[in-house]
Amino acid sequence: MAQTFFHAQHLTMQFGGLVAVHNFSLKIDPLEIVGLIGPNGAGKTTVFNMITGNLTPTSGKIIWQDRDITALPPYEITRLGIARTFQNIRLFGNLSVLDNVMVSYHHRLESSFWHAILGAKKYRREENRIREESMKLLQMVGLDHLAKEPASSLPYGQQRKLEIARALATNPKLLLLDEPAAGMNPQETLDLARFVRNLRDSLGLTLLIIEHDMKFVMGLCERIVVLVYGHTIAEGKPEDIQHHPEVIKAYLGEKKHARH
Amino acid sequence: MIREQRNLILNTLTIVLLFVILWLFDRYGTDYQIRILNNIAVFITLAVSYNLINGICGVLNLGPNAFITIGAYTSALLTMSPAEKKISFIIEPLIWPLNVIQLPFGASLVVAGIVATVFAFFISYPVFRVRGDYLAIVTLGFGEVVRVLCNALQNITNGPLGLKGLKPYTNLWWSWGIAVLTIIIVQRLINSSWGRAMKAIREDETAAKAMGIDPFRHLLLAFLISAFFSGVAGGLLAHLITTISPTLFTFFLTFNLLMIIVVGGLGSTTGAVIGATLFAWGNEALRFVESPMQIGPLHIPGIPGMRMVIFSIILMVVIIFARKGIMGQREFSWDWIFSKIRSQRI
Repeated sequence: MAQTFFHAQHLTMQFGGLVAVHNFSLKIDPLEIVGLIGPNGAGKTTVFNMITGNLTPTSGKIIWQDRDITALPPYEITRLGIARTFQNIRLFGNLSVLDNVMVSYHHRLESSFWHAILGAKKYRREENRIREESMKLLQMVGLDHLAKEPASSLPYGQQRKLEIARALATNPKLLLLDEPAAGMNPQETLDLARFVRNLRDSLGLTLLIIEHDMKFVMGLCERIVVLVYGHTIAEGKPEDIQHHPEVIKAYLGEKKHARH
Repeated sequence: MIREQRNLILNTLTIVLLFVILWLFDRYGTDYQIRILNNIAVFITLAVSYNLINGICGVLNLGPNAFITIGAYTSALLTMSPAEKKISFIIEPLIWPLNVIQLPFGASLVVAGIVATVFAFFISYPVFRVRGDYLAIVTLGFGEVVRVLCNALQNITNGPLGLKGLKPYTNLWWSWGIAVLTIIIVQRLINSSWGRAMKAIREDETAAKAMGIDPFRHLLLAFLISAFFSGVAGGLLAHLITTISPTLFTFFLTFNLLMIIVVGGLGSTTGAVIGATLFAWGNEALRFVESPMQIGPLHIPGIPGMRMVIFSIILMVVIIFARKGIMGQREFSWDWIFSKIRSQRI
């Protein structure tokens, strides 16, 4: 296959004197589920922010479907098919659960705002279609019975699910999940892993996931990248990563430190 | 669908009822009552369009007085006859082509709205480069710039002398017709996909961007629509009070509007309407507090500005006890009324 699906090339992000991410490269093929792990402050979310355009990398390039998207604003990148969720949930709190999802259809709307103000049939048909599709997405994540509730009233776990539904509504090909299992109990985490795999299989999505829950990552991801202090120290299959000496050192410390 | 039809019928009936009441006032009401009703309508137009920016988009714009000023002057200059303009502009003559143009009132209102919109478009780029307090300061600055320009541009605005003797074209039909039109258009926008995107920007701009929404385009749209109706309302205001000068459109006008939408409930058109009604009515009804009073042995001299003190106290009470205002972000809806009636029966 000649086409590059996703390729981050030598990304470096500097904040003043601090190098948050150093020379990060990652190639992802369609339908892969890739995990990005590392201790707190390793620069995982910074990588996400660079990919989605929230940060412009100090150096390096991001190629998405043969196109350089490095300096594009976030909304352009979303329109090109890369969606994300946020580590610290960022829902539209005062909007209803349904409206939160419907917002994501806005950038693909065909009618102009004149249609909306004049109440044109074209716009009303589109609005109805968007409402139906949003309800289907809510059904998929099991939130359809809460559609009219304000998003901020949902419990934590359901807010995470709503974030995923909202990101799916932008119609992405690559979905970035930032700690989707945070705050979930083991059963919920298990369900989430099944749900994510199902997304890949039924919607043909490719996923890049940041997660601290090792069981979740090891069980779900086909490939894992380990980031420590902005440096990529390992990349490979889950079983290789588990036994990688550098990774063990980063997570547990060296033996002589651990002893006393 | 049946519910939508029911709401449409009820809305139409309400508007018809409103205009029947206005017709009765027009026929049998006193000048005083008609003036209050006109004021209410103009402030409804101003508050509803201001709320679109501040309440729906969540942007603290402190410069609506700029749009109102521009609308008022544009409309006034267009309705005055060339002869009147010649008499008014005694220090410096009015520049061509304004000195020869005369338009009917309705057309002058449309032009007033358009000129205000064009001005909004020109200042939008510096305004929306910043957010929060900075944006408030930038818009406050533009509001002042326009006021100062009105003082300085003797050959366009007649400077501090202002424009006098405008024909009182603004009657109940114009003022309420435009108020109703503004509410319908702004409500349609708010309830559409665009309104949803604007609210998303208000709630969390970073997340809105991640969902494919370009904040600048949506804030600009709201800003332009808001400016248009503020400009039109400025034209109405000019032909209601018939005399305009730069001192009329200071920051206090903005402050009043801000008070209206905060008391009514930021982000609620219903709240803006209620707030504007209370304000415009209270502004007249409370006039007595500024005249000298004799309470028993106590003589209180008339203190101009006493009304503002009372309004400030009301504002403080609302902020302390009902932080979200009268309506919060809720809106009046027939569905809500009917669900109340139904639950009463059970």
